[in-house]
Amino acid sequence: MDKPDYILQMKEIRKTFGPLVANDNISLNIERGTVHAIVGENGAGKSTLMNILTDIYKADSGDIILNGKKVVFKNSLDAARHGIGMIYQEFMLYPELSVYDNLILGFEEKKLGVFIDKKACKKKIEQICRDYSFDLPMKTLVKDLPVAILQQVEIVKALYRGADIIIMDEPTSVLTPQGIQGLFRAMRNLVSSGKTIIFISHKLKEVFEIADRITVMKDGKISGEVLPGEVTENQLASMMVGRDVILQANKVEVDFGEPVLSVKNLQVKDKDGVLRVKGVDLDVRRGEIVGLAGVAGSGQQQLVEALFGLRAPETGSAVYFEDTDITRATPRQRRCMGIGYVPQDRLGAGANGQSSIWETAIMGYHVAHGFKSRFLLNFRQIEEFTGRIVDNFAVKCQKTSDKIRSLSGGNIQKVVVGREFLQDNKLLIIEDPTRGIDVGAIEFIWKKIIDLAAGGVSVLLISHELNEVMQLADTIKVVYEGQLYDGGAHGELTEEEIGLIMMGGKSDEK
Amino acid sequence: MKNKLFSFRVKKLGKDLAQNDRLIINALKYGISIVLFLLCGSVLILLQGQSPIAALEAIFQGAFGNKMAIGNTLRWTAPCIMTGAAAIVAFKAGVSNLGIAGQVTIGGFLAGLIGAFYELPPLAHITLIIVVAGVAGLLWSVVPAILRLFFNINEFITSLMLNYVANFLTQYLTQQVLAGGLDSWGYVNMEATPTVLSSAVLPDLIHGTSATLAVPIALIVAIAIAFLYKYTIQGYELKQVGENLKFAKVGGVKVVKQFLIIFLLSGFISGMCGGIEVIGTYKKFNTGFADTMGWDGISIARIAELNPIALIFVSFIWAALKAGAMQMERVISVNRLTVQIVQYLFVLFVSVDYEGIYLRAKERRAKKQYRKEMESVA
Repeated sequence: MDKPDYILQMKEIRKTFGPLVANDNISLNIERGTVHAIVGENGAGKSTLMNILTDIYKADSGDIILNGKKVVFKNSLDAARHGIGMIYQEFMLYPELSVYDNLILGFEEKKLGVFIDKKACKKKIEQICRDYSFDLPMKTLVKDLPVAILQQVEIVKALYRGADIIIMDEPTSVLTPQGIQGLFRAMRNLVSSGKTIIFISHKLKEVFEIADRITVMKDGKISGEVLPGEVTENQLASMMVGRDVILQANKVEVDFGEPVLSVKNLQVKDKDGVLRVKGVDLDVRRGEIVGLAGVAGSGQQQLVEALFGLRAPETGSAVYFEDTDITRATPRQRRCMGIGYVPQDRLGAGANGQSSIWETAIMGYHVAHGFKSRFLLNFRQIEEFTGRIVDNFAVKCQKTSDKIRSLSGGNIQKVVVGREFLQDNKLLIIEDPTRGIDVGAIEFIWKKIIDLAAGGVSVLLISHELNEVMQLADTIKVVYEGQLYDGGAHGELTEEEIGLIMMGGKSDEK
Repeated sequence: MKNKLFSFRVKKLGKDLAQNDRLIINALKYGISIVLFLLCGSVLILLQGQSPIAALEAIFQGAFGNKMAIGNTLRWTAPCIMTGAAAIVAFKAGVSNLGIAGQVTIGGFLAGLIGAFYELPPLAHITLIIVVAGVAGLLWSVVPAILRLFFNINEFITSLMLNYVANFLTQYLTQQVLAGGLDSWGYVNMEATPTVLSSAVLPDLIHGTSATLAVPIALIVAIAIAFLYKYTIQGYELKQVGENLKFAKVGGVKVVKQFLIIFLLSGFISGMCGGIEVIGTYKKFNTGFADTMGWDGISIARIAELNPIALIFVSFIWAALKAGAMQMERVISVNRLTVQIVQYLFVLFVSVDYEGIYLRAKERRAKKQYRKEMESVA
């Protein structure tokens, strides 16, 4: 057999963030003209590895060998010049500019070193579009185009910049099934004309469909490298998620009361008008923890936003809280009724990064509970409530007037979680409560959630960590493509079984 | 503990600033700005063939040299504080109200009308004028607020454009409709409304100077704004809306209502400022009197870093420069616009992202260090 033609080799890449080892001596060989898939859970280290490749991060140690030569990039631009193009989940496009302007921005062909040579640019783009059969509306503004087209714009942009290796980070998460087929066609075209694609995904079906070779990452290491024909979906799923349980939440058996939250035929569109939640029915009973597992982007975000009044559901949807119709209630009304919410985006929605600790700590509390005076802030009460959070949740801070940004991620999360947990709420909607925090804080917050439920509070837990849902939830539901599937009661199904439902593997048992 | 990870998100470099860094950044910011301010000023004055030292002396004389001078400084302090307060209210809550000048103009115009054509006992007259002027400014700010809330048109543009509408509208009304202002020689003064009645004139603060009761009123406004943001629930919500809209929304703040309140409050203060200027200083509405006032307010708010108490001091210095500049022009024939130029340059210097520069320098140093270590290992 011939020696394989590797376009890119990464050798012994190691990267740590504080105590976290994000990439633990990873070696990866990518063959020219193939689609190489990298699969793994959130936090497995895929993104870090790619960010090292594109020089967003510097590796602690290890080499990158491109076309057989060792390279050290000066910066991300330098990486792009070496032919490495990255297409992010969030498109890097200027909405107010036309497709054409977006394509050439920063990489204009120049006349006399100053003027943009529009003709040359256009010729180059047309050549690319012809070679790889793309058809883009050059003059349309980017904001007027659907996401599937935007993705093509990103691909053409990468090609225009001379990319030989195109990294696609979860490219299908924003696409419809038709859009995905279109993308795959484009990928095949690219590969057949000699480009190389690194495809990052955790949707196994897609990986099986498009990839020539699959590398599985887990906990910062490579846990296997396979060919799609060699393994079954099941085996791959277990390579991805199968691991020892690090944390064990001790659950007590409880009897649940009547439903507190009752959702009937909930339908929600996202901001682009795409239906993302497609008729969800859900009950959360008193004292019950219902866990929603699912791959990111399956409609959880829109579901939660609708449940907390941040996004209006479609007509025909109904949400009841203790027999009151709250389908159209505002977040303020919901808070006054006793519904709490821990948002996923800690510094985006959970806390105000520019504010002090107490300012973040009383948000929502000041609405639902108020102060003695309707107009003035009562600093004694503020100090008392903030102090209660700090004490009960062991927040490490010096004084409550410090900036919230000066705390660590775990401590900020404790403030946010504490704020919602200590308000005597009847229902808590909790989204990814332990994202990006250290193991100690995770254990702590888990325990608090279980205590809360034992005290009769209903909890709807939405998490992208399957393990978290499995550990905490009394009843597990799986979100896939905007619909809910049964994930059994606590401990009924194995991690692999649920993982398969998450990826649409066994979607028949609704 | 083993290095198993659940999931992690990487903290962006330099998000957490140490106390120490903050101090250095602030020192850099004001130090560099003041040095550049003096440098630019000196060069401009030297270019006009005069000594910068003499100019500085003249400015100081004009601002604090005698009772008149101090009165002048105080006189300018009042509108600076008021427009600055209007800007702070808006900017703190994330609203770009650039229409302060227009709101001042409309308020001033109505004050001129009521002052000249309605007769009322003194105290009632003044109170009525100030309130009506405030409401006029408020109504003028309703337009951009509604355009923003219901049609999603950026208030940045609409409020700015409405400045011109206000300016030309009042100019038209003054010249073409009223056209009745008589100047001291008995000729028709086309640029102003008639002089206000004596019952409408705002009493002096220091007798024999141009400082009027506008000064204490402005101080009260600034302190009220400080109180609003520091001690009231309303102010707390406004601040959160401005700093993180999504956070406020999730927390149950009525975001739309707060947005409207901000705009109206900012407009009210501006309108009030216009009214007070007209019945305090000019005794009549002069067309275009508010031209630079809106920008003064925005610049001062910027330098004061949106702190209402700092606003009072910055306004005082700003006003001293303004008053001193006139003296400088009289004494050593350096154009007083020189001072205005460097004043606005100072705003530019202060607005530079020193934090970004500092952090980037720090990061680069760390990278270099890293490279060196890597090389020494290899």
